[in-house]
This record gives sequence, structure tokens and C-alpha cells, in this order.
Amino acid sequence: MTFTPLDELLLYSGATVLVALLLGRRLAAGWMVTILYGVQLLGLLKMASLGYGGTPISSSLSFQVLGQTLSWRFDALSWFFALITLGSALLSSWYSCGEWERAFRRQGGNLWLFHLAMALNVLSMLILLASGDLLSLFIGWELVSWAGFLLMAMAGGIATKAAMRYITYAMAGAMMIFGGIALVYVSAGSLQYEAILTAVGRMGTAHLWMLVILFGAGFGIKMGLLPFHLWQAPAYAETPGPGSAFLGAISSRMGLFAIALVLVKLFGVVNIESLKIPFTLIDARDLLAWIAVLTIILPTFTAMKQNDARHLLAWHGIGQGGYMLLGLVVADAMGGAGGLLHVFNHATYQAALFMAVTAVIHRTGTADLNKLGGLVVRMPLSFLVLLVGIIGLAGLPPMNGFVSKWLVYRSLLNQGMPLLFLASVIGTLGTILSVYKLIHNIFLGQLRVEHEQVREAPWSMMIPMLILTAIIFITGLFPGIPLAWVASVQQAVGLPVPDYTLGGVTASSGSLDMIWVIGVLFAGFGIGALIFYGAGPSKRVHQLDNYAGGHFLTADVRYQYSDNFYAGLMHLIKGWYRGSFLWLESSVKSLVEFLSLGMQGIYRRANAEFYLLSIALFVIAWVVI
Amino acid sequence: MAPVELLIELTLMPLVAFVVGLMMVLMMRRIAAKLQRRVGPPFFQPLYDIVKLHGKKTQVSHGLIHDIGIVMAMGGYIAAETLLPVPGMNGIADKGDIVTLLYLMMIPSLGLALGVGQCANPNGSIGIARALTAMLAYDIPLVIVIFGVSFAYGSTNLVTLIQAQQAGGFETWGAVQMPLLAIAGLIAMHASLGKQPFEIYIAPAEIATGPMVEMGGKYLGGLFVMQCFQLYTTSVLYVSLFLGGGTTWFDFLLKSFLVLAIPVSIAYLFPRYRTEDLLRLMWKWPVILGLIGLAFVM
Repeated sequence: MTFTPLDELLLYSGATVLVALLLGRRLAAGWMVTILYGVQLLGLLKMASLGYGGTPISSSLSFQVLGQTLSWRFDALSWFFALITLGSALLSSWYSCGEWERAFRRQGGNLWLFHLAMALNVLSMLILLASGDLLSLFIGWELVSWAGFLLMAMAGGIATKAAMRYITYAMAGAMMIFGGIALVYVSAGSLQYEAILTAVGRMGTAHLWMLVILFGAGFGIKMGLLPFHLWQAPAYAETPGPGSAFLGAISSRMGLFAIALVLVKLFGVVNIESLKIPFTLIDARDLLAWIAVLTIILPTFTAMKQNDARHLLAWHGIGQGGYMLLGLVVADAMGGAGGLLHVFNHATYQAALFMAVTAVIHRTGTADLNKLGGLVVRMPLSFLVLLVGIIGLAGLPPMNGFVSKWLVYRSLLNQGMPLLFLASVIGTLGTILSVYKLIHNIFLGQLRVEHEQVREAPWSMMIPMLILTAIIFITGLFPGIPLAWVASVQQAVGLPVPDYTLGGVTASSGSLDMIWVIGVLFAGFGIGALIFYGAGPSKRVHQLDNYAGGHFLTADVRYQYSDNFYAGLMHLIKGWYRGSFLWLESSVKSLVEFLSLGMQGIYRRANAEFYLLSIALFVIAWVVI
Repeated sequence: MAPVELLIELTLMPLVAFVVGLMMVLMMRRIAAKLQRRVGPPFFQPLYDIVKLHGKKTQVSHGLIHDIGIVMAMGGYIAAETLLPVPGMNGIADKGDIVTLLYLMMIPSLGLALGVGQCANPNGSIGIARALTAMLAYDIPLVIVIFGVSFAYGSTNLVTLIQAQQAGGFETWGAVQMPLLAIAGLIAMHASLGKQPFEIYIAPAEIATGPMVEMGGKYLGGLFVMQCFQLYTTSVLYVSLFLGGGTTWFDFLLKSFLVLAIPVSIAYLFPRYRTEDLLRLMWKWPVILGLIGLAFVM
């Protein structure tokens, strides 16, 4: 028996889990698993041909269950997501080694469990990504759900509560997916992708509707799509720092992977578009697109109200998922590319942002945006990382987030979807407001007395952050590098491919060349610097040497604007935050509680007369009707 | 295009923008003076101001980000000008479309916001918070307008947009084809200039000129340069979207100055809105006009 590269990759990943399990209590465990993630990444790079349109690579492992063949294989879609998974696992794990690890242990954290949970997450994600049929997809899905639960729940306290909420949602989603799989089996007679592809054409409208709803909701829960978004932000934010970075970067994108695989590749966007909603002008694809833009807007504006940096970022993570789905369901060349490219871009800057915030927590002990300020003078490199990250998150040039959002905007423009376009821009504007609050309240403004001796984050944490920062900038400058992978993913899921170059995209209706745009931008900065620094030296003054309306500032005066940051805006829109989804969730919860209480009553009492009466009533009703 | 030619264009475009921007500042001050029955400043006053501010002996810095913020504020606009076609020069307008320009124009604002942030003055921070809120207000109608125009002409490339408008003379101008969008665009443009009644983030009486509170000398000078570019960029963008761009420098400049004269004349007649009133206004009338205009285009 010969090993295929995929077998090797899965074996490396399994070995990482074993090492974390057996040697996880050693001091050097962090470095060992980090190196093993590196080995996994190398194993993945051996399959790099997949990223450039190579033929899928299968695993030699496959077996029969109940007449169904379970198999695993990697194609361009799996490779692209696996690259992001392993990249973020490697950097998050690297970040956790050294000083963060020691601090975590001092605070009573269970490092063994942390490494094990990370390794399990990576392994289960790889298994999910490698799934070769719907049954193995479901197995992978369950593994990912439980591995994610382990990582989210390990911190205890609020984190466990959030994780319990997550697993409740995830199990509900899994049931829907299972129902969907059963429905597919009924109509296609097989769970192999090829068989489903041919069977989709024969499926009736009602059948396809049911499948779209079941799979869409099931996978959407993992992505945090509205209205299933409530679990995600607290669950990701409360995980130990590097875990947040990893989860925020890739975990919920597994939902997007599954949507790309099942809804886009197997069912086909054309088929989804043919599902009209009666008495309205919209179809199932529009419905998905509108869910996507609501997922952009509402969590973004929820993020703006957060006073904890980690929660703010986690809420944005939900919102950015909306852009990915939006691009994917618009499904023209630019939209598909934008949505998929955003997965990569989002992973890079979200990981960097969580790491920068964790570095701040590491040094100051808090992520409360009302208890920080002015740290740029103490932690300039972390500031740089956070700055690059927020420019990416807000989708401004010159960082990579701009390119993917530009592609999504352009696809909406080309397809003539003004309201979706407007909504996605509103999301971006909200993001800009929110991330300025983030960087202002942590790094700008007045430095607090208790932070005057804070030092820059240690190098063990700094180097992974700087690597991510470089990736964010370089893939913004040369978006052609990830666009090549994205193009092969688009081919693999049957979407059209845009005409891309190293610097961007060319199209008759307007092109983008980031090399030129960024070149000109930096030339502009150069000229600005010449004017500014040519004008003579300036004198650095103390932060208290400041205009205070005729008063003199002293060190005990808090001279910082941080709370209720967008007061004017909130004055107008605060009434729109009604917690409707929380209300919806709690009403579902009470309904379930009520039903279970009723059931329990019937079950416990064993009231024979009652059973008899109900059966009699039912029979009469049946006969009469 | 030969590289040398392109290089000359890339140098000339920001330079022209700066000179025209200076004259626009002059026009703004002269209009204000006329409305207030004053004489107004001499022709070279804006230039004197910039030279004076940069030549001041006392230059107060609040840290590196304060400095870099000003550099970004100037540099971002210098870069943005190369994406904005003028008669005879297209620069790199075909390498980054109007969406790129729109987002590139946020870089100077980001620079300013960072610079102000490091000043550690809550007046400045409140000013930036208000400025960002204002951006959320006027960008919504602006985005509707930009969608409408680019959808109507089937392109986001500014060069194509201008050519399409010039193709049939006056009748194919954006303002004639899409009058409602043009009106919505004008209101949004007025708000984006931050002049009264939309001057919420300067508000001298409330927050002591907001972002400018800790700025003096070359810092204020940098913001002055930024303002020149801002006036130029906003009016030229409007001319390119609705008034057919310019075939010659004469009509190009005439249109740009006239367009700018409208909000500036209105500005000095009004006091200031509150933040939430600005939001309410911007999310209501220009959005309604824009959406109706968009319905005609689609």
C-alpha cells in the first residue's frame, strides 16, 4: 500500500494530536506541536498543485458502511481551506509558545487541554475538508463541532456557558444536516457527490426547497448567519487568546466551506435561483443574499456597542462572514472570487487582531475599552499590527481586505443589485466606526498612570503577529497570489473565473491594479513626509500639556473620551437595538421547556385514562375528517 | 503610454489639484466675505497661510502618530488625485475605479483620525467620533448615487463615465439624464465637505474645533493642504459624475468652481445641526431622492 500525500497529511495531523495528548504536559509541548503544524503545512504544500488547478488527490482510506462508500479526497476547495486552517493553527500555536504559555499556566490554565483541543480542531477540520461524500462530510462536521466545543469550553466560567449555547445550536444544525442527507439519499439513492450532481436536475421544487433550507440553516449555524448568530461572539471571545485567534480566523468558515460544497457545487446556484418565493419577486438565492447582508449589518452594529475588545472583534467576525456568503451566492466571476478571497483575507487580519488584543491583555490584564488608552507609546509594534489589521477589517486600501470587498461590490454593481450593494457598504462604514473606537480606546488618547511601565509584547508573540501583518500587506499588494488559488476553487465548484493579474483584476467595466494604487499611495505619503518634515523640527510635549478649556491638567485627571463613543449616532439609533434575536431565542427556549414539561407530565403520571381519552379523541377526529 | 509621460501626469495631477484647491479656498473665503459684507482676503492669502504655518517656530508634537497622521492626511489625497481624470490626463484612473477612489479618499481621514487620537484631547476624539458619524450619514446617499451613475453607464471606470457623458453633448450629461441622483449627490457632497450646516465635527463653540484642537504650525498647515485637496476632489468628482467632466481646462475649471460655489454659498447662511439631526436629514431626503432616481435608472 502506498501513501498518498493526503494520507501523509492526515497522519501528521493525527501525530500532532498524539503528541499533544501524550507529551502535552512537558514544558516544550507548545514548540513540539508548533513544529508539527509546520510539518502539516509542508505536507499540504506537497499538494500545492491543487491550488493551481491540479486533479484531486484521494486518500487510500475508504470503507463501506451499509452499502455506502466512505471516502476522503482533497480538491482545490479543500486545499484552499486547509491552507488557511493550517496557517492560522501554526501561527496561533507559535504565538502561544513561550511567554504567553507561562502566563497562562500561572493563572491556572490547563495548557495540556489547550494544545490537545487545538490539535483536535485541526485534525477534525482536515477530515471535514477531505470528505468525499455526504456521509463522511457529516462525520467530519460532527467532529468539528465537538472539537470546537472543547476549545471554547476549556476556559470555564462564562466561556463554558457560551460553549454550551454553541453546542446546542450546533446539534440542532447537525440534525438539520442529517435530515437533509436523508432527503438526498431518498431522491438520489446515493450519497456520492457525482450521483447527487446528476440527481439534482430531477428533484422537484419542494424537495429542493427543503434541502436548501435544511442545509442552509445547518451550515449557516456554524457561520453564525442570522438568526443563528447569538452563540458565536461570546464563545470565540472567551476562549484563551491564541484559541480566539484560531477560531476567529477559520472555525466558522467551515460552514462556508460546506455551503460552497453542497449549495453551490452540488445543487448549483442556477437551481437555487429557480426556486421562486410565491407572491414576491425574490427567489431562494435572493433570500440567501439578504440573509448575508443582514448578517453583515446587524452584528457589525452590535460590535460597535461592545466595550470588550475581544467581543468587538468576534462580532465583526460574524459580520464579515456575510460578505463571503454574499459574494458566493451572487456567484458571478467577481462575486465568487471576492467571497472566497475574503475567507483568506479575513483569516489573516482577524488572527492578527485577536493576537494584538491578546498581547494587550497579556501586558495590561484587561481588554476593557474603557480601561485602556495611549498604549501606542508603550507598545508601538502591537499598535502597528492592530492598525494594519483594522485597515484590513474595514476594507480600506492598501490592505488585503479591500481587494476582496472591492470584488464583492463590483459583482453587485455588475449584476445590478443596488440595495444589496448599499447594505454591504453600510456594513463597511459601520466597521470603520467600530474599529476606530477599538484602536482609539486601546492605543490612542491618554496613557493611564498604571500603564506607564508597560512593555512591548514579547518576541515570541510578536513574530507571528508581524508575519501575519506582512501577509496582510503583501496579499493586498499582490492579490494575484491568493486569487490564483481562488480561481482554481471557483473552477472546482463550477463558478466562472475572473480575469486576474498579479495586481488585481481586469474587466471591461473597470479594473483594479493594487500595485499601482499602493505605489501611488506610498509615493503620496513620501511627498507628504517631505512637506511635513521639511518644515523644521517639532517639539514633543507631555500628554498633559494639552488644551483643557483654561484649566491645567494633572496626572489624576482622566482626560480621555472612551465611553459611549458614538454618542450622537447612538442617540438616534439606540432604539433600534431591541435584542429581538435574544427575545426570539428565549421564546424558543421557553417553548421547548413548556413542551418538555408537558411531555414529562404525561410520561411520569402514566395516566391510563388520559391516554385512552386522547387516543379516542384522535380516532374520532380521524374518522370524522 | 510611455512611462515618462505617465510619470509627468502623476506628478502634474496632484500639483494642479493643489493649485486649484488653493484657489477654491480663496473662492470660499471671498464668498463668505461677500455674504458677511467684508472685503475678504487677497489673492495669495491661502498660499501665505500655508507658508506661514509651515514656517512657524513653535511646532508642538504629541508623538510619532500625530506626525504620521498629518503625513497620511496629505499623502492620501496626493495619491487620490492620480485616480481622478482631468482634461488631457487620465493618470492611473483605469487601474483603480471609482470604488477604489472612494475608499482611497478615506485614507486621509483615517490618518487625521489617528493623528488626532494621539493628541490625547477628548475634544479632538469627540470631533473624530462625530466626523465618522457624519461619514456614515452622507456616504449612504453618496453610495446610492455612485451606484446609479455607474450602473447607468455600465462602468465604474471614471474615464469611461466621462466619455459616455461627453458622447452626446449636454443631453448625455449625468445631471440631465439623472437629475434626482444629481440633487442627492449635491446634498451628500455638501455634507462631505463638513461645512455648515453639517459642521458638527468642528463645532468651535462645543468641542473647541474638534480635530484641530491640538493642531498648530505645520500640523494645521498639513490640514490646510488637506482641505485644498478635499475641496478639489469633491467638486471634480461631482463634475466627472454629473457634468460630463471637462473637454478643455476652461470648462473643466468653470464647472468645478461653480459646483463648489453652491454648497459654499449655502454654508455661510446657516448655523449648525446636531449630530442626530444631521443623520436624520441625510438618511431621509437625499436617500429618498437617490432611491427614486435609482428606480428610474434601473
